[in-house]
Amino acid sequence: MALPPLEADESLQHVDEVAQTTSETAIHGRSPTRIAMERLRKDKVAVICAGVILFFILVAIFAPLITRAFGVELRSYPGSEIIDINTTYGKVGPPDHGFTWDHPLGVEKGTGNDLLAEWVYGCRTSLLVATISTTLSTLIGIVVGLLAGFSRGWLDRGLTFVIDVFLSFPFILGALMLAPIIYSHFAADAEKLGQAQFWALIGVLTIFTWMPLARLIRGEVFSLREREFIQAARVIGVPTRRILFRELLPNLIAPIVIFYSLVLPALVTAEAGLAYLGIGLTERPSWGQTVNKSVQFFEEFPLWLWAPVLGIIALVLALNLLGDSIRDAFDPKTRR
Amino acid sequence: MHLRRLTVAVSVAALGIVAACGGGSDDSGDGGDGEFVEGGGAGALWNENAEAPAPEIEGAQTGGTVDVWGTSGLQSMHPTEAYFTNTTSILSNLVTRSLTQYRWNDEAGAMELVPDLATDLGRPNEDFTEWTFTIREGIKWQDGRDMTMDDMVRGIEASIDNHADGAFPNGAQYSRTYFKGGEDWAGPYTEPNGGCDCVSVNGQDITITMARPFPDMPYWGSFPAMGPLPEEAESEDVAAYGLSPWSTGPYKFESFDPGTSQLVLVRNEFWDPDTDPGRHAYPDRWEFDVDRGDPTVVDRTFIEDQGDTQTALTYDNVQQSAREDAEASGRLTTGPVPCTIFWYMDTRKPEWENIDVRKALGTAWNFDDYRLATGLSMGLTAIPGTMILPPGLPGRKDPPFDVIGNGGSGTGDPDKARQMLEAAGALDTPVIFAFDASDPTQVDGKNTIVQALEEAGFDPQPRAVANADKEDEMTQDPDAPVNLRHLGWCSDWPSGSSWFSPVFSSEGSSNYSYLSVPEVDQKILDIESKDANAQPPLWGDLDEEIMTDYYPVIVDYYTANAMLHGSKIMNMENDEIRGMPTFADIWIQQ
Repeated sequence: MALPPLEADESLQHVDEVAQTTSETAIHGRSPTRIAMERLRKDKVAVICAGVILFFILVAIFAPLITRAFGVELRSYPGSEIIDINTTYGKVGPPDHGFTWDHPLGVEKGTGNDLLAEWVYGCRTSLLVATISTTLSTLIGIVVGLLAGFSRGWLDRGLTFVIDVFLSFPFILGALMLAPIIYSHFAADAEKLGQAQFWALIGVLTIFTWMPLARLIRGEVFSLREREFIQAARVIGVPTRRILFRELLPNLIAPIVIFYSLVLPALVTAEAGLAYLGIGLTERPSWGQTVNKSVQFFEEFPLWLWAPVLGIIALVLALNLLGDSIRDAFDPKTRR
Repeated sequence: MHLRRLTVAVSVAALGIVAACGGGSDDSGDGGDGEFVEGGGAGALWNENAEAPAPEIEGAQTGGTVDVWGTSGLQSMHPTEAYFTNTTSILSNLVTRSLTQYRWNDEAGAMELVPDLATDLGRPNEDFTEWTFTIREGIKWQDGRDMTMDDMVRGIEASIDNHADGAFPNGAQYSRTYFKGGEDWAGPYTEPNGGCDCVSVNGQDITITMARPFPDMPYWGSFPAMGPLPEEAESEDVAAYGLSPWSTGPYKFESFDPGTSQLVLVRNEFWDPDTDPGRHAYPDRWEFDVDRGDPTVVDRTFIEDQGDTQTALTYDNVQQSAREDAEASGRLTTGPVPCTIFWYMDTRKPEWENIDVRKALGTAWNFDDYRLATGLSMGLTAIPGTMILPPGLPGRKDPPFDVIGNGGSGTGDPDKARQMLEAAGALDTPVIFAFDASDPTQVDGKNTIVQALEEAGFDPQPRAVANADKEDEMTQDPDAPVNLRHLGWCSDWPSGSSWFSPVFSSEGSSNYSYLSVPEVDQKILDIESKDANAQPPLWGDLDEEIMTDYYPVIVDYYTANAMLHGSKIMNMENDEIRGMPTFADIWIQQ
């Protein structure tokens, strides 16, 4: 999957500098990233998926504006004002009444929470959690992978062992164990509990996703570090840090981008899954939580379940397809 | 009594079946077999003149197999240890006989206590410290052998082994508490060489001597533990006997697998209906399969009513998600269960010392939003109320008293509560309670409480716990850092003694408001030593006195049953003593 090292390619900075000073070649060089971006732009699936993802990102960013535009409010208690005490469904909106602009997706059974607001803020939670933890795990993966790959001897062995330990630890079990610990620490303060849950969830998702990237990068670095340009850099005394981040890293862009684009949807699903199991976020809206609550009442109020499910499906599908396209685009061996 | 699979003090979170989800509609409620009636006469009925055999049920047909489905499993089926509502009910109605029993009284629409192995409901001495029962002749074991008086003594004495270190750690402990010498003897299994002077035999008479007055003995006599055990029960190991207890009743065990909770009962040809004033035995066979996974699936199957389901029934409550369809099906058996769910205020804590502050909490309490958010099926399986004694308990005040004046429902009166708090100088009184943070409906419920109490000037401090078990742990731990506990209590028999002594006396096992008032303790003792028939109005008065003068609890709601059955199951009523179907009266339409 990795790129061959650049030879006559002037994209890398140090090569650029050298090239500029030596000769003015007529061949116009393009970086692999640029090649990939051009390929992506021609890929219809990728463009559509990017549009879908952009939509969700905008929804997440402008959640407060959207809810205000629809005139709904997030979790405006009490429910008894909007809930029919006999049916425990809303007095307006689905499932018992027709569509209303006051509550476009209806209100939640029992609590009377507006479901559009829940959905919009649930989208925000999903994207926020997934993006932060994917970014963090990518960073950790890069650093550990580079260090392990480049250092020979004990540091490599140590880091490989750590990677193996984390790989062998079951993710769900870890999440299940962590929840009670967090609850017992922050039990007394609901606000802090909400924050703790949020960051703990990100922590759990991060801790259990960085290892494949670290391994991948370590393997890539193994082969790259014997190449001439690295050897040359070492010979002329470039500091290790600079070799790692300026010489090696640009050659690893492809696996990193691919990892990022494939892990992001996986974490959206994981967040929803944990919320469904009751060990995710409870103090803020989340799609998984809505699924958890609504699944029993699917027969009477299908829209309640459909909204978050369609949200998850659309987002995850778009992210996955885009991820595939990115992988294809970065892979020099594919020609489409 | 234990609810199915639950411990005596039932936390509401643990009542998952009841509280799992919200909903349903009252509009279609007319379809049910019977609407819930507040204050039905219930087990106050004693009928010591009931004659054997039990009167025929009009139109009843013999034969067929009844399937019983459930999701909560079966615990110990050893007659001495059976103390869950389902095991007690199955054994008493179908398999084992005891001194007394309950039977359905169709006119009253309630259960009545009638004789069983005894010919009457027992003859007490003056101060209820000695009870004599005359045992019927001609009772046979399932192998045709005569049941002897030795078997009776063996069975009754075995119940003394019902204690934490005994052979039956989960059994009811009344024999140990009340029988003379019961506390000093570990029981015949644990201490084979010991003994008590509590049970003596004279011809067909069996006399039980008590350490202290026990007017409720006839009720305790209806438990399977108060029946005979064969010699084999002693020679066999206890667990093995529990897998196939010997029958004196209309059915015997064919097979029982405790792992999957599958139990098959077939006819016991040695049961003689002419000796039994309570039981009918119309079906030929009973097949219990009561550890099925998903209650929603069970509900759906009953609502579809296809094939085998037509001759099946369940004793699990219908889920709120299926409430509308269940009510429309007309195959829903409803009725009270003697349980009250309370919010206990910890009266030991300084913030609750002032009764005005406690009443302010009751005034501020937002019943409706909490019930909606936690998805209670109000009016079907949860009934609002203001009194300690649930509907069906004798002596319950009618018309009901209402200390706060909101009828136990509504969204609370924050302004009035705030005034009360200001008057008491107790603004920002902390209200600390546990909630199960893994259950989104509990989180929603917590949010409604927080909102309502903040509005009224309290300082609500919900404490998150990781799951329902942890919530149980916290609410039942007297030293837990909470001052408001959400727990329920169910009575073992329809008498106030089964309520006030455990829940409101300072020594009570389930006194989670930690109320400790010598006058109340004394009153409870006084009433308990009176004749069972004289007690009910006194319990009613005490109920009002405790709520008016001490207000240690907010009455949240009373539980009720709503059980589905197939279209060919006839005559299924709600046994309001145990909250189970009246197994002994059910027949199948051929």
